[in-house]
Amino acid sequence: MRLKLLKISGLLMAFLALQGGLLAAQDSNPELSYTLTPMEPPVAAPGFTLDDMDGKSHSLSDYRGKWVLINFWATWCPPCRKEMPSLEQLYQTFHGRSFRVLAVNQWENADLVFSYLGDLDVFPSFPILFDPDSKVSEAYGVRGLPTSFIIDPQGRIAYRAVGGREFDHPEVVRLIDGLLPR
Amino acid sequence: MLLALVSATTAAAGDVVHEVNPASGLSTWRVEGQDFSVEFIQLLPDFVRAVFASRGLPQDVINAISSYCTFGTIVRNKATAPLSYNVADWRYVTADGVAHVGKTKAEWVEEWRERGIAFRWTLLPEAQTFQVGDWGQGFTTVKLPPGTRFDLHYAWSQRGDTITHIIKDMRCAPEVIEN
Repeated sequence: MRLKLLKISGLLMAFLALQGGLLAAQDSNPELSYTLTPMEPPVAAPGFTLDDMDGKSHSLSDYRGKWVLINFWATWCPPCRKEMPSLEQLYQTFHGRSFRVLAVNQWENADLVFSYLGDLDVFPSFPILFDPDSKVSEAYGVRGLPTSFIIDPQGRIAYRAVGGREFDHPEVVRLIDGLLPR
Repeated sequence: MLLALVSATTAAAGDVVHEVNPASGLSTWRVEGQDFSVEFIQLLPDFVRAVFASRGLPQDVINAISSYCTFGTIVRNKATAPLSYNVADWRYVTADGVAHVGKTKAEWVEEWRERGIAFRWTLLPEAQTFQVGDWGQGFTTVKLPPGTRFDLHYAWSQRGDTITHIIKDMRCAPEVIEN
């Protein structure tokens, strides 16, 4: 049994190495894009209340009056990992200007996520919320991970991005900067 | 660069690049130079078992999905307009001329839902419309034995047209990599 577990762990490591190799091989052709698709017209964002890693509840309605980027993600998802530092950078750039980030984890528990986050180059300072039965992602029509939404101060979905994004790309920064009050 | 280039062919719809990872021995097929770019990475059955076991799924569910030929699949919209794909339209044509249909995420999720399992991640969404810059990744599955060779006929829709492309001589991952 122990041998079997070791073998499976080895396979997982091999796959992660494969993924790393693929990512390295694609450096000349970045796999994270930077476009955000405007929702025209904006539609009401489904409300939710979810716990963070400390058990504190966060409701979307708590953030009314602010721009909120909601990022649906999971630890097993390579592009989720890749985009996380840029999400933190974006949050650091704008959190003093009515901009918030909520990262909504899918199907995983706080122990696993905490361990995963500790392994990242940058530990996220925005709230990590838990959607253990994927009810919230389902309400948002999320088909794959990562998927992100930008919610306007009126609680409407203003932009959507399917797949990993380079959130600190100048085009994204310029867009967010233009949305926020001075 | 970790991946060793094995072959590259040019087709009307894009360049097919087949690479073998010298460390793992597993193959990747990638098609570039078209509006809908695709990449298929062989996955060993043991890896698929490990992924679903780590998500806490029941053993019979793990055994069922790991008996399928599975690829890590990455699809992207590289066009300047929206495009759509539907995995149910894709065909895996084996040497005997039989066109096999993959088992879609919707079919797996429905099967799991009947078992009271709400898990719906890691598999490539069966159908999506990608806006400019959108992309996705996940597993695609077809009921073929390890090592089976096939031509993949895949398609996408763009501005009302359906475009079909073929990747020739793809192979399911073997049961194990021989050293």
